[in-house]
Amino acid sequence: MRSLATKKNYKSEKIRGIRIFTSSFSILFQLIIVAISILPIVWIFFSSFKTNGEILNSSLSLPKHWNFYGYINAFKISPLHKFYANSIIIAVTSTILNVFFVGMASYVIARFNFKFKKVILITLSLSLFLPMTSLIHPVYMTINKIGLYDTKAGLILVYTALGLPTTLFLLNSYFLSIPKDIEEAAYIDGAGFFRTFIQIIVPVARPGFATAAVLQFLLSWNEFLYAIVLTNSKENRTIPVALSYFTSQFSFNYTSLFAAIVMVSLPSIILFALMQEQVVSSLTAGSVKG
Amino acid sequence: MNRKGFWIALFLMPTILIFLLIYAVPVFTVVFTSFFDYRGFSGRMTFIGLINYIQLFTSDSSFKKALGNTLIWILLQSTVHVAIGTILALILAKKRFGWKFVRTSYMIPNIISASALGVIFLNVFNPTYGIVNSIIKIFGNKNINTNWFFDYNTAFFTVTITWLIYAGLITILVLAEIMSIPESVFEAAKIDGASDFKINIYIILPMLRNILATCVILAATSMLKEFELIFLTTKGGPADLTLNLPLYLYKTALIENNFGYANTIGTVLIIMGVITIALVTKLFKFGESDV
Repeated sequence: MRSLATKKNYKSEKIRGIRIFTSSFSILFQLIIVAISILPIVWIFFSSFKTNGEILNSSLSLPKHWNFYGYINAFKISPLHKFYANSIIIAVTSTILNVFFVGMASYVIARFNFKFKKVILITLSLSLFLPMTSLIHPVYMTINKIGLYDTKAGLILVYTALGLPTTLFLLNSYFLSIPKDIEEAAYIDGAGFFRTFIQIIVPVARPGFATAAVLQFLLSWNEFLYAIVLTNSKENRTIPVALSYFTSQFSFNYTSLFAAIVMVSLPSIILFALMQEQVVSSLTAGSVKG
Repeated sequence: MNRKGFWIALFLMPTILIFLLIYAVPVFTVVFTSFFDYRGFSGRMTFIGLINYIQLFTSDSSFKKALGNTLIWILLQSTVHVAIGTILALILAKKRFGWKFVRTSYMIPNIISASALGVIFLNVFNPTYGIVNSIIKIFGNKNINTNWFFDYNTAFFTVTITWLIYAGLITILVLAEIMSIPESVFEAAKIDGASDFKINIYIILPMLRNILATCVILAATSMLKEFELIFLTTKGGPADLTLNLPLYLYKTALIENNFGYANTIGTVLIIMGVITIALVTKLFKFGESDV
């Protein structure tokens, strides 16, 4: 009996030792994660209010005076307002089209049985795993051929397609989770197919649509590769491309560059901060079921 | 066709058209034109069989470097990157003070534009005013002037850092899976006297097999798409040291206008994607039930 008790004591002390080690490790680990994630952005943010001289001589200090010259200059040396307007038009339009069209397809796939349903679903799913970087040339040729090179419409079309797999999976699993009698009642009342979709299904599936829309908006707002491949004029370029324009032409003007980075990143950060609970819960629900 | 059939077809139509235009026809074009000598905008194509592939794998040193780098990055991303994200998820699952703040912070580098991130890192690692060298100057080496992105010895390491340690998406996915494990499982383990560490290793991790497979696929295939963070920092240099396949494809297609050859690289990328997914699926017995 006694030996058993001492053994237990020894064991509990060992466990306590491990606990102290793991809890200090976990605190340190979290500190490092937070530091590497937000220090670079916070540093860029503060530096965007400094002068060029301050940035070069005392890069870690806070700005002496909070001035907005960097921001004002950024708009002067590049047509930033134009890029902003383009990004908003392209991101909003591609989000509406993507969520609406892919929503229609996901609804039909989730709810009805028809010929080739499995083949269609599997074929569409393949797009999720396709490295889109491999398609630069043919997509460029296609857009060129249909006369959409260097137009907002061309980028809208490609972005609508880029988000196809994510929206399909998200909405498909969302529709599967909605009870079927909701729309059956509508059909019995004599409502048409399209009206049932718009007036019954879309409102019920609003959280799913909202998440898909946020992700699609972020994708279009952030996209860079196809933006440089499919456009060549200031008239149609988007805000991520503006950054490369800044680094090549005004690389001596750090304040304006930093201001431009802040203006590119801030909308994404704000949108995510506002919608994150929604996005996180739907994302994971989708991944668990799908 | 009945009325319902008509509506089903109509609802599928836009998505299928977009899919054909931007995915299906381009994939076919990539594979088809990889067997042709096809350069410039004249549209002239000469069938040359496997010549592009032979040249790619036997005499193209840039391709060898790009392929090697891409493979190393796939390997690192599917191990180290996934491990970092998973460890953080295991820690945050305890829901100690501030766990949501940590989760949100870690997502920020994942949700801002990769182009912004590239320019941010270019400045963070700048030799004169960058935050990295400034901090090193405070804690010791006062004369440091390492040009992280452009020095032959540090370029590869620095480029790798810009994505390897930012595993916010992995954390979110794994964390949600842990939270869906029934509370009774943990309680039973605790009654049996298992430590947190043991619970993590022997109980939680095995239950995460499917989500980890998803994460490894996501992480590995992301390296077949990585472009912005290299393009806006080192541009593949110095001397192809940080070149990867997407960047090499981009250069071949848009700077040299050698479309047939670029699409041969594209075909290799697509095949690598297929192999990666097949391998991970097999390795993790993905999709099979746990019982």
